[in-house]
Formats: sequence, C-alpha cells, structure tokens
Amino acid sequence: MSSDHHDGEHHPSAWGPHDWSHGAPHNSWSPIIMSIGIGIFLYTVASVYSWGNMVDSSSIPLVLIGLMIILFGLLIWWRQDASFDGIYEPKASGTPFQNIEIRKVAMWVFLMSEMMVFTSLFSTYMRYRFGIDSCQEVYESGSWIVNSQNVDTGEAVNCFLPASELIASSWFHIAPGAINTFALIISSFTIVQALRWAKKPIGSVDEEVRRKRVYRYLGSTWVLAVIFLTLKMVEWFVGFYIPEIGPIHEHDIMSLVDEGYTIHADHYHPHHGWDDIHLAELAALHPEDYEAYLSAVGPNYEPTNAVMLADIRVSSSTFFVTTGTHGAHVFIGIIGLTYMTWKAWTGGYTPQNAVSIEYFGLYWHFVDLIWVIVFPFFYLY
Amino acid sequence: MMKNFIHSRSLVVMTILIAAMVCTPLVSSFPTGISGVKDSGCNCHGATTSDSVTPMIVGLPEVYNYSEVYELTVSFTGGPSTPGNINLGGFHLWASEGELSVVDATVQQYNPNEVGHTEVGNDQTSWTVVWTAPATDRNVEMILHTNSVNGNAGDGAGSSGDEWNKITKKINAPILVLESANPYVVLSTLIIISGILLIITITYIFYRTNPDSFNWESFEPWIADWLTTTDHKKIGTLYFLAGMFFLGIGGIMALMIRIQLSVPGNDFLTQDQYNQFFTLHGTTMIFLAAMPLINGFANWMVPLQIGAPDLALPRINAMSFWLQPVAALLIFTGVFSGTGADTGWTGYAPYIVSETAHVGTTMWVAGQIMLVASSTLTGVNFLTTIAVMRAPGMGWMQMPLFTWSILVANLMLFLSIPAFGVGLVQVYLDRVIGTAFYDAASGGDPLLWSHLFWYFGHPEVYVVIVPAFGVISEVIATSARRTVFGYRSMVYAMAGIGVVSFIVYGHHMFTSGMSPTLRFVTMLTTMLVAVPTGIKIFNWLKTMHKGSLIYRTHTLWALGFLITFTLGGISGMFFPSMAMDLHFHESYFVVAHFHYVLVGGTVFGFFSAIYYWFPKMTGRMLDERLGVLHFLTAFISYNGLFWPMHRLGIWGMARRHHTYFISTEEAMGSLPAEAAGWNMFISISAFLFFFSNFILIANMIKSVIRGQKAPADPWGGWSFEWMTSSPPPTPSFPLDDLPTLRDANEGHIANEPSAIVRWFQGLMVLDDNEEEAGH
Repeated sequence: MSSDHHDGEHHPSAWGPHDWSHGAPHNSWSPIIMSIGIGIFLYTVASVYSWGNMVDSSSIPLVLIGLMIILFGLLIWWRQDASFDGIYEPKASGTPFQNIEIRKVAMWVFLMSEMMVFTSLFSTYMRYRFGIDSCQEVYESGSWIVNSQNVDTGEAVNCFLPASELIASSWFHIAPGAINTFALIISSFTIVQALRWAKKPIGSVDEEVRRKRVYRYLGSTWVLAVIFLTLKMVEWFVGFYIPEIGPIHEHDIMSLVDEGYTIHADHYHPHHGWDDIHLAELAALHPEDYEAYLSAVGPNYEPTNAVMLADIRVSSSTFFVTTGTHGAHVFIGIIGLTYMTWKAWTGGYTPQNAVSIEYFGLYWHFVDLIWVIVFPFFYLY
Repeated sequence: MMKNFIHSRSLVVMTILIAAMVCTPLVSSFPTGISGVKDSGCNCHGATTSDSVTPMIVGLPEVYNYSEVYELTVSFTGGPSTPGNINLGGFHLWASEGELSVVDATVQQYNPNEVGHTEVGNDQTSWTVVWTAPATDRNVEMILHTNSVNGNAGDGAGSSGDEWNKITKKINAPILVLESANPYVVLSTLIIISGILLIITITYIFYRTNPDSFNWESFEPWIADWLTTTDHKKIGTLYFLAGMFFLGIGGIMALMIRIQLSVPGNDFLTQDQYNQFFTLHGTTMIFLAAMPLINGFANWMVPLQIGAPDLALPRINAMSFWLQPVAALLIFTGVFSGTGADTGWTGYAPYIVSETAHVGTTMWVAGQIMLVASSTLTGVNFLTTIAVMRAPGMGWMQMPLFTWSILVANLMLFLSIPAFGVGLVQVYLDRVIGTAFYDAASGGDPLLWSHLFWYFGHPEVYVVIVPAFGVISEVIATSARRTVFGYRSMVYAMAGIGVVSFIVYGHHMFTSGMSPTLRFVTMLTTMLVAVPTGIKIFNWLKTMHKGSLIYRTHTLWALGFLITFTLGGISGMFFPSMAMDLHFHESYFVVAHFHYVLVGGTVFGFFSAIYYWFPKMTGRMLDERLGVLHFLTAFISYNGLFWPMHRLGIWGMARRHHTYFISTEEAMGSLPAEAAGWNMFISISAFLFFFSNFILIANMIKSVIRGQKAPADPWGGWSFEWMTSSPPPTPSFPLDDLPTLRDANEGHIANEPSAIVRWFQGLMVLDDNEEEAGH
C-alpha cells in the first residue's frame, strides 16, 4: 500500500502489525471484514431459525462461515494490536480529563451505554414481573379452576413464573449460580492482580517473574470466566447428579430446560403441585389463608385432580435473554482474555502498556457488577 | 515482493467478500415464497410436472366485458388418472384480476382470486367455477394447475405416481392496456443504476487523480486504501457518499409513493407494496441518509474544529462506518424478493412480531441492530474525542457551536439508542428463536415496544436536527461577519433540548391509552421544547441584525432553513396539545410537520453545510450560480411539496394508507374533490424537488473536475478548520504541534456588543469568567 502519502514506512500494511510509535491513523482491513461477518451471521441465523423452528438446516454452514469471517477480522485486529507497547498511549488534552489516557475515558463512556442496555432489560423485566400475576398467586387463588372451566382441555393461564421459583427451591439448584457469583468476584480480584504486577516499575521486579505473574493471573481470570459459562450451561441445559453423601439422598438436579422452563413453554406445569387436590388440602388446613380460593370455587367444589397449566413464555424469555445478555458479555470477555493471556505469555505487557489491562478490567468489573444485580433479581427473588 | 504479496492477498479477500455479499442474499431470498400454489406448483402431489397431463379452461373469452360473469369449466386429460380410481385429481386456479367464486361443493375458495378442489371434488376430472371480470381495463392472467391422481392414496402409497401440469391463459381488456410496471423492478433497477453510477463516478475520480496510471495495479491499492482507511477525513467522505447515495434511494421511493398518491384510487403500488415502500423510505431517510450525512460532517469537522489530530479511536470509527453499508444491505434484502419490512419505520408491536408481517422484517430488524451498534461506537468515539482531545486552551465554552451540536446529539443518541437496540434484539429473538417478549397471546406487552422505541425515537429526531442547528450557527455567524449572538445561550439551549428530549416521548403515544397524568406531563414537557428552540431562532435573527450579511449559497440555505424550520416548529406545537393530537394523529398534518423539520430543517441545514465546507473538504470552490439556482428551484418545489399536506391532513387524509378516495358528498373516509388536485400538485412538486437536487450533484462533479482552487479560508470563518489548508493534511494537526486557542470564539464572546446583551446572558447562565480570563 504505497500509493498514498501517509502509507510510508510507518504504515507497513493494512493487515498489521502496526507501528504504534506515533499517533496517525493506520489502515486496517478488520472493520470491513468484521462488519460483513456480522451481517452474514445475523442473516443466516434468521434463515436457519424462524419462530423457534429450524426451517433450513442447510444454512448452518453459512452461520459458521459468518462466525469465521468475524473471527478472521478479529485476528487481524489483534495482530495489529499485539505490537502495541505503550510508547504512544494517547493522553487527554481537554480540561476536565487532562493527562488521563484517552482510551480509558472511552471505556467509561462505553460502559455508560452498557448501563443503558441493562437498564432496558431490567425495565422489561420489571414491566413483566410486576405487571403480570405471579403463577403462585394465580394457583392459590383458584381462579384458574373457574376461568378455564375445563382444565383437561389444556387451556393455559398467562402468569409470571420467575426462574427463582425453581432455582431457589434448594441449595443444590442454586449451587451453580452461587459458585458463579464467587467465580466472577474472584476473577475481578485476579484481573486487578494482573494489572498490579504488570504495572510494577521496571527494575523493581524480575521481568520473568512479571511475565509469569501477569499471564497466570490473566489465565486464572480466563479459567474463572470459563467456569462461569460452563456452570451456566449446566444450570440451563445439562443438570447434574448428587450422589449419596451422609444425610443427602442420591438424586438428579434437573436443568431449567429439563424442568420445562423454556421459551416455548406455553403449557407449563411443575412436576409436583399445581393441582386442585393439593390446593383443597391446603385450604382445609388453613382456610383463613385460602379465602380467595374458597370463594372462587364455592362451597361444593369437588377436587378432580385438575392441573393448572401456565403459559410462562414471557417469564422464561425475560430470564434467558437478560441472563443470556450478561453471559454474552462474559463470553466477549473470554475472547478478550484469550488474546490478553496470549499477549502476556509472550511477555507483551510492560508498565508502559499495562493500562490496557485496566481498560479490560473496567469492563470486567462492570460485567461483575451487573451479575451482582442480576443474581438477586433473577435467582433469589 | 512483499508488496505484491499483500496486494494479491487483499485482492483475494476482496473477491471473497464481494462474492459473499452477493451470494448470501440469494441463499434464501424466498424463505416462504411470496404467493401460493400458482408459483410453486401443486404442493400436495409429487414434485414432477408431466407433459402427459393437459389442463384446460373452457368458457374464457378472448376479450372480456366489464363486470360480466363467466362460467368456466376447468378440466384435464391424461396422466395416471383412470376412471374407477378412488381419487381422480385436483386443481388450483388463480386469476390476477377479477373475482373467482364457487358454485358447488366440489370447489373451495382460498382467496377472492384463488380457488381449488375440495375433498368432495377429488374424484372427478372437471370442475365448474365462476369468474367475474373486472370493472375496469386490466390485463388478466389465469394460472391453472391440475393434478392427475392414480388413486393409490388409500393403499398407503400416498401421492407417488401422481403427475401435475399447469397452463397460463391471458384475457385481454376491452381497451388494450399496456403492461403496468412492477414497482419492485422499477426500484431495483433504479438502485442498480444508482450503484453503477456510483461505481463509474468512483472510477472516474480515480482516473482524475492520475490519468497516466489508470490501471488495476494502481487502482487496487487506491481502492484498498479507501476500504481500510481509519483517517477521519476519508471516513467522513465515505459517510458522505453513503449518505448521498441513500438520500437518492430514499428519494426514489418517495417518488414512487407520490406516483401512487397522485390520483385517487390509483393502483401503481398495491397496498402491500406501499407498506414496504413507506417503511423503507422512512428507515432509509433517517438511518441511512440523515445519520451518515451527520456523521460525514462530524467526522470531517469535529477534529478540525477542536484541533485534534484524529478521532479518539480511529479503527472503531472505521468499524462504525462499515457496519452501515452491510446493515443497509440487510435492510433492503427483503424488498428485492417482494417481502420487505412492512411495519413502518416505527415497527410497532404486535404487528412486527406477527407472522403476517413479511419475512423481510426479520432482516430489517437485523440491519437495524447493526446500525445501533454503529451508532453506539460512533457515540463512544465522539463523546471521548470532544471531551478529552480539545486543543490546549479550548474550554467547553470555547468550542465551536457545530462541535457542541455534535456533542449534544451524540449524547442524546448514545443514552437512548441502547433501549432501541434491546427492543430490536427482543424482536429479532421473538421472530427467530421464538421468545415471547411482544406476543400478546402469552401475556407480552406490545406497548413495551412503543416505550422502548420512542424512548429512543424522540431523542433520535433531535439527533438529526441538532447538528443542523450547529451548521446554521456557523454559517450565519460567518456570513454575518460577526460572532453568533448569545453563544452561551445557544449552548445551553442545545443542552436543554438534549435534556428535555428524554422526557417528551409520551406525546407519540397519546392515543395508546396511557394515563391522563402522564399525558399531561409529556404535553407540558413537549411544549417546553419550544423555549430553547425559540431562543436559538431568536439568536440567529439577532446575529444577522447587527451583522452585515453576505449572501452566499450557504447563507441562502441557512435563511431558507430559518423559514421552513420555524414553520415546522410551529406546526409541531399543535401535537403536544392532547386534544389537537388526537385529531391530527395519523394524518398528513403529521407528515407535513415532520417533513418540514426533517427536510426543511436537517436536509436544508446539510445543504448549507455542503456549500459551506465543500471547499474545505475538496480544495475546490462550488459554482455559486448553480448553487443559487439549486436553492431557488429546491426551495420553491420543496414548499410546493409539503405545504399542501397540512391542508390534506386537516381534511382527514390518513398517512400510511396506500390510496384515498374523493367524494362530493359527506362520506366516511373520503376527501373533498379538491384533494385530488392538491395531491397531483404535491406529486409534481415532488418530482421537481427530486430533480432540482441533481443541480447540486452536477455542481459537485463540475467543481471536482474544474472548480477554482479554494483558499484555506474562503468565507472568512475563524474556527480551527479554516486554519488548515484546503484540503487539510493527514494527520490534520501534527501531534507535537497542536494548535492553541488564543482568540477564536472566545475573543468574539468578549466583544459582545451591548451591555444589555451581557446582562441578559448573566441572567441566563453562570458567569465563570475567571477561567476564561486565563486564555
């Protein structure tokens, strides 16, 4: 690329690696390639799936091609970035932020937008959580017996069933989420340790020790993030097995999907409960708590072992998409950490460019913070 | 050696990318098909057509009489069908015009123009149907599929061995009708022609750069440099080209809409096509024309105006741009197969998540998701750049007003667009993997979409108008040869618009049944918007009052902006009032209003910016005479185009409807007879307005080829961009020699003419002169 005047020796190629010792712009193939990859990905995913059904499995290779094009673009980006040694780290000149690294400000600005993303997701959650009757209340009120006269025909009631009803039902069910919380919090610690070691002034620490510490701490962060996503998959799709230990009975912990808590669950009912015999027994024991039920069904109601079916698609959509968006952020973090761990392994981090670990750290703390809010709202409450 | 290797490699990648872009839309352009059996063949029995089956239609005339009823006998011979089989055969008949109807139980009706056999009718080989000819002149086409059946269905062999065939019959109208154009073909052709013109222009520009080396070896690195550039000026130019291209495409769609509406009861576009055209017109104009044009000027001018070498994150900036053309491709994929988004640019739920909405809607949503990503990255870039990369000595209150307007616009966009993005992702997931965010049957709330959309949508319309405010402030101040009157109040007014924009969006939802209290609140906040806007208009007028105005083309456009934008602002004040809003809702009065602010405001502002900054961007002057001609023709035809729409709206002409009817009597849904004349007038003005802009294109091309060389500061402006050469070097300012603000805007603020003005400003804002005194 030599036709242009600023493609001198400072700009060897649009494929990288870049010479970062000055501030002028570099050419890069990465943006256009990644954009096309994203376009192909979004297009082909919608060709494969439609309304929750796989309609065209022949397009799956195209989805993979899209992802590979994105990855290819990303690799170019990294290749250009790997040579960044921090000699030229742009600093702010404007008054309120003078001498702060420009990219740090950019990361904070970006997190502002991320905050709005999760705010919107929480708005959706609050609209549905507080705007739709909870399934437990609908069940206890007995109105489902009256409203859908013939429960055997499979008419479902619309109600909100938070995933926490399943997840918080036992210590075992909540275990993956709880371990994940600790994993993320510890990973916030390890990323700071990586930054601390990378930042130690030259001479105060042996360079080989620095290299090892930085890549090990970044690697630990990577492992913790992978644990997070793995346990999330266990919790969503796989479930796990509890052997007999002392007083604990041997049993399987079912995943949310195996429990029937899916985005397509328009005729959900739990494995035990939500039948009118159970409700009648409870009402007989505590009539003062079940006045609504008793007045709804009348004095002569004979339980017929009818079961309440619930359309919980809105509840599960809200749960999976909000926690999934957070999971996607963790996944993006893993991708970033993969590159950073590799760069640290090659000894790429010095006190001069250690601040780029801090940029990632800001993002990572944000992801952690979001989890600290998501966890109580979606797992406990 | 290395260079050749790199060149051939980028060549291969470019070829792959282009191939991928061309092939992907073809993979499944017809995911569900756009019509029924008439195209796909009989879908119930076998896949093979067979010549041994001969379908027949008896009773069809060569030329039909208006509204006459014809009894048709459809039958077939041949194939495996033999008397005595359990089943003998079936048929499917489709007529392009007129109505088909059923006479006995052997035939059933799918649509007014589509019939087929029933369960009862599958043991015969001939059926009777009735066709009512159209009442007007039409070329009619009938397609008959017949299916010859061997009757083995009962033996468990299903449809094996069955054969089918089809015939097409044409019936002429009493008066010969020319084949009407297919609007999709028209649109696609025009888009392709525009694309080819663009490619020719690019090639020609390359030729002009160095006529001696007009070959691939030098073209390839040249074009690769444009595709990979991270220089803010080149990306600005790319944005500008993309914006102009899509302004043309959006304009073509607007013209097709106007052709449809030029006479009552027109059928140039069907209802279905009309829905897609106005949806894509809105989406294209807002997201693919206005936003890239804004980003084009922002990319070019903001770093120059604040004395920064480039934007904060140049590669991210390139990413912002390249997401847009790909997104545009996704948004348009649907329309090429006739299944484009038909939801309106607002994409209201629950229609957008219903299966009745075209399949192209999914792609439209996917494209918008990419545009949201693009805008977010742009926002990060500009907010960071403006906050941290100002030249030494330039405080917040010394920034040029255009930079301020970009800061305010990006802040608004940045804080609001995530809500839209989340809504779009929810819709995309609803449509693709089957979540139920907006599925009313499962308890989803369609109004939630409206909230997420308008929480973004209202700031968005300010995002496209506020940069125009910035342009007008620059242009009027320069043309009046003095500083802008009330710089601080201008800044605070813009910031005020930015703040208020977030709490007014309820006025889009007055008819959705929201609580009267909230309606009242948004009514007041919406009316409040007029205050900062009024301050700005007052300041512009006052700037001219004590200045001595030079009438350049950009000045004319700025004056035109003042008139049209003020008119648009006044009509806008009708909508916050709840009672008026309920009356005007969904009428052409709304269309007139937002075109007065978006065309008369944003587009005029950017025409002004083109004439103002073009010499800086290209180093060539534009032709002033052509410029004035462009202004006069466009300004007059523009007003002819949109002013009568107010009247139509008051008469009750509904927007988003593919046609209208006039009547001399009082009747529901019809307009007075004059409406037809006005609509024709509007359509003619629309054509004039569209073609008047070719003067601008011609002017730009002429200027690039043989325009006068532009000096560094042709208009006598004093912000930083005029201190660099035209066109500016790269990097725009050397990193070790950034300009320092000594006496630009600041000096002029200090020279505000009268004591009253200063007193007034003292009322408006806090006085932090201590800080400024240092400069």
